[in-house]
Amino acid sequence: MTTATTAAVEGGRTVRAAPRIRRRLSWLGLVPFLAFLLVFLLLPTYGFVRKAFLDVHDHFTWTGMSDAVSKNRTAFRQSIQLSVLTAFLGAVLGTLLAYAAATAKRPRWLRSLVSAFSGVAANMGGVVLAFAFISLLGAQGLGTKILKTIGFDLYGGRFQLFSFAGIATVYMYFQIPLMVLVTLPAIDGLKESWREASANLGGTTWTYWRRVGLPVLMPSMLGGFMLLFANAFSAYATAFALNAGANLVPVKISYYLQGDISGKSPMPFALATWMIIFMALSMGAYFLLRRRAERWRSS
Amino acid sequence: MAIVVTGSRPAHRFTRRLGPNLILLAATVFFIAPLLSMARFALQSVPVISLGWSTLFKRWSWGAMTEAFHEPMFGSTLTLSLKLAVGTVFLTLLLLLPTALFVHLRLPRARSLVEFLTVLPYVVPPIAIVAGVAGLFRPNARWFVNSNYSLIPFYVVLALPFTYRAIDAGIRAIDVRTLVDASRSLGAGWATTLRRVLIPNLSSAVVSSSFLTAAVVLGEFTIANTLSKRTFPTFTLEYAQKSSQGGMALALLTLVASTALLGLFTVFIRRRARQRGAVVVVNAAESQA
Repeated sequence: MTTATTAAVEGGRTVRAAPRIRRRLSWLGLVPFLAFLLVFLLLPTYGFVRKAFLDVHDHFTWTGMSDAVSKNRTAFRQSIQLSVLTAFLGAVLGTLLAYAAATAKRPRWLRSLVSAFSGVAANMGGVVLAFAFISLLGAQGLGTKILKTIGFDLYGGRFQLFSFAGIATVYMYFQIPLMVLVTLPAIDGLKESWREASANLGGTTWTYWRRVGLPVLMPSMLGGFMLLFANAFSAYATAFALNAGANLVPVKISYYLQGDISGKSPMPFALATWMIIFMALSMGAYFLLRRRAERWRSS
Repeated sequence: MAIVVTGSRPAHRFTRRLGPNLILLAATVFFIAPLLSMARFALQSVPVISLGWSTLFKRWSWGAMTEAFHEPMFGSTLTLSLKLAVGTVFLTLLLLLPTALFVHLRLPRARSLVEFLTVLPYVVPPIAIVAGVAGLFRPNARWFVNSNYSLIPFYVVLALPFTYRAIDAGIRAIDVRTLVDASRSLGAGWATTLRRVLIPNLSSAVVSSSFLTAAVVLGEFTIANTLSKRTFPTFTLEYAQKSSQGGMALALLTLVASTALLGLFTVFIRRRARQRGAVVVVNAAESQA
């Protein structure tokens, strides 16, 4: 409909005789943008995907892709575990926090503070975030000391800030806020009248959540989980700043890239190809679920 | 109808708010504590071991920070990061403003294609982009990768998903078509329309997306580190090996600067496109984490 109106307006102004040619020509306006993306996004992507499937003699092969997995099994396992764990905890805690903030009525600024802070914290990462946690939960950290004085020895067990549990803790700092940003609109979409209707039909709070609230929130939560998974799986800077030798897929990609300047080994390119396969699947699921989640919002 | 519910409310209120309040309290501690302890570490020269009630207020100073300022690499890496930020902001605007306007005015059919292209950087995260740089540009255009400024176009790509949406939201918030028609019917050409009508009306979208871009660039570590570029974040990590307190001080500086930039972004985007703005900030973590 929009197209028809536009064409009519333009046709009225100038060349009515050849609108089709004009319309064809109007695609030219996108050329700079498309050319830019082609050179700086699509060609590089094609470049590493191609290299992932070539051997030293430039022949097609699957071994690069299978070697990437078999030689980095631990990295894949740890990356997947870390991403699933932090995405799951982030989705649950983020939804709870969003709910607590959205339903709080007393300080009126609370909700906007939480959403603004989430915008900032979801962007945190890398060196700054790693350092903040080193100062808090490192072996010589302030929080570690405070916990010790109240009788909890953080380093009594196997906890290390640069090991799995530590990196997961730090990731929660951007995973939870990202989830808050994703679910806040969905929680706002929960109408008070649904709760009243449920109560009038004799439902308890539990019935309301099980039969109405959670089913409505579920697409957003699952979508958020996929987004958080992708976010953690591709995160490099935070993990590297905490532990330059972390055995995670993104850190491995960077390690192989820096190690092999010649660019002959397919290893980093095959890992990067696996990376975008994971990204495409999880982000694709996220976009589908988000569309599903928006169904309740418009009505 | 609602009487049943309201009637039972006062008795329930305290217990029902207990859970949410505990969550809010725990979240406050979790999110504030690392920042405070980093600030203390950066500004107080008392090791944690000897920290106690007696030493709590002793030896606070800007010493570690000013010492870091005198480091020879401090000036050059900060300048590089600032130049990259400015370059990225300009290239982003130069590329996206005409494209977004063009899509709105002349080619609405292309909207979904352009939107799809702008979210592609989610699928190709920084660590994959840098593999592409190494795989394609390093063997074929060494001179390009050797230049520090070769980072700029990739930073434009990194920030693309949210810069495009910020600009797009700004354009949707004003009635571009009417403005253009009015301006054209008064005899203005396309250049005049752009310069005197559209850009002034889009100023807050332009400003907010610029803040966001700058914040992304100032914190970017993945690409710079893998390509061994000495930007401010890579210098911060390097300097921390020499002086951990100095590293904390630089990190604190980055935190304050980028929070200020993102805060300004939030203020501008709220003012222009109230509800839509919230969507824009989502996912921004991709580029930095």
